[in-house]
Amino acid sequence: MSKLSLQNIGKSFSTRAGKTRVLDGLSFDVRDGDFVSIIGPSGCGKSTIFNIVAGLLAPDEGTLIYEGAPVAGLRGRVGYMLQKDLLLPWRTVLQNIVLGLEVRGMSEKDAREAALDYIHTYGLGGFENAYPRALSGGMRQRVALIRTLIVDPDILLLDEPFSALDYQTRLYLEGVLIDAVERLKKTVILVTHDIDEAVALSRRVIVLGQRPAKVKAVHDIDINERSPIGARSDPRFAGYFNALCNELDIQTQQRALA
Amino acid sequence: MSGLISRLDRPVGYVALQIGLILGVLALWEGGVRAGIVSAFLFGSPLGVAKQLLRGLEDGSLLFDTWITLYEAVLGFVIGTLAGSVLGLGLWYSRLVARTFEPLIVAFNSVPKIAMAPVIILWFGTGLLSKVALAISLTSIVAMIAAYQAAKDADPDLQSLLLTLGASKRQVFAKVIVPASLPAIIATCRINVGFGLVGAVVGEFISSQRGLGHIVFVASSFYDLNSVWAGLFTLMATGFLLYFAINLFERNVLRWKQDDHRQEIHV
Repeated sequence: MSKLSLQNIGKSFSTRAGKTRVLDGLSFDVRDGDFVSIIGPSGCGKSTIFNIVAGLLAPDEGTLIYEGAPVAGLRGRVGYMLQKDLLLPWRTVLQNIVLGLEVRGMSEKDAREAALDYIHTYGLGGFENAYPRALSGGMRQRVALIRTLIVDPDILLLDEPFSALDYQTRLYLEGVLIDAVERLKKTVILVTHDIDEAVALSRRVIVLGQRPAKVKAVHDIDINERSPIGARSDPRFAGYFNALCNELDIQTQQRALA
Repeated sequence: MSGLISRLDRPVGYVALQIGLILGVLALWEGGVRAGIVSAFLFGSPLGVAKQLLRGLEDGSLLFDTWITLYEAVLGFVIGTLAGSVLGLGLWYSRLVARTFEPLIVAFNSVPKIAMAPVIILWFGTGLLSKVALAISLTSIVAMIAAYQAAKDADPDLQSLLLTLGASKRQVFAKVIVPASLPAIIATCRINVGFGLVGAVVGEFISSQRGLGHIVFVASSFYDLNSVWAGLFTLMATGFLLYFAINLFERNVLRWKQDDHRQEIHV
């Protein structure tokens, strides 16, 4: 059974130039425990899909079906991570991590205990009282990941969460993510323009076409190795990478000057 | 020469330069008066001012007048800033109210509030109340506009994050909007504390029995320039004190903004 299903979603935005149709009849399914990446040309409406699923934007047409029933959005049930770490600068690491628990009304003591548990598991011990500005980019995104995981969301919504980090930090955090997702059996939707990351992390990749976005193709990624480095070293990695690049029509060779 | 400059480019160096500058100006002033170039009648003299300050300190009147003015200014500043900031943040809460009131607030803000001083005295009498009311009228609108602007500028992505976590509007307000607006609100305090003093002094100019504004006003009508300066210097010191109080407050409230170890860049 599919966990989440988008059916014929349409969305337009009013701009100065008139109405721009961003999504038109977009449909796809996400299975329970799935790791789905959505890739597409820039400006194709990936972030719009993301915001509709998160419940931050209402679609003009279409329905969102969650566990068999139509819903308006998944506010309160999703974990949400962007390229920006979105840490509240006036809160310490610990206070940032408990944010979601606090919103849900968990007692301060319980929230604190749970947070300290995560902080130690993810190697941030000793930084619980530091303010975000004192941390490196990788550490900040690690805090953001813990804040996302600790509320135990049904679905993780990730919008290029690691794209601002250097490659080593990124591999490390991808590993942390995969590990947590496998262990906690989470469903993940990753929006990215990074084909390499999509192939390495996902079980399925949904390719979107030009705006207004429709599903152009769905690729199952059949790599059993789940670690970020292991997946990239798998012999099948290059094949998938190549197929997705072709799908996106990426031109890397400069045309000869006439 | 460069050795001298690098030696001066340190805290102790700055302070020495500052004190030197002030003493230099005072010496020129005093010298000018004695040489007959500067009129003591119109400008007073540093030694005369010092004498007035000492006399005021001795009989306690200077401290009392300072206390009166400080009390009026701080009370007006605190009430005006608090009320203005709360209203400004409140405008974020309701788009309808904000849209309705925004142009009215801007219009009201463009009235020079000092021009209302005579009316405020009519309404609130010649005592403490009118000075506080004047200080409130000067500070509240500024605080309100600043707080509303800061609330509007709060990062929408942080608000989205709270919403995806299932937060209510009230929670978004308390956990994002208010703390995100605090730096701007406190920065406004720094300007507003001066306006509080302006309100108190102008109120005292129009009608009063005590206060530093009273001293300056009365002394100048008697051409007692030494007393005028004594009042002005005390006002300056009072303003300075309030400014540092705000700085101290800021450092304690906005701990998260403190630079732990940022390197200074010399250009």
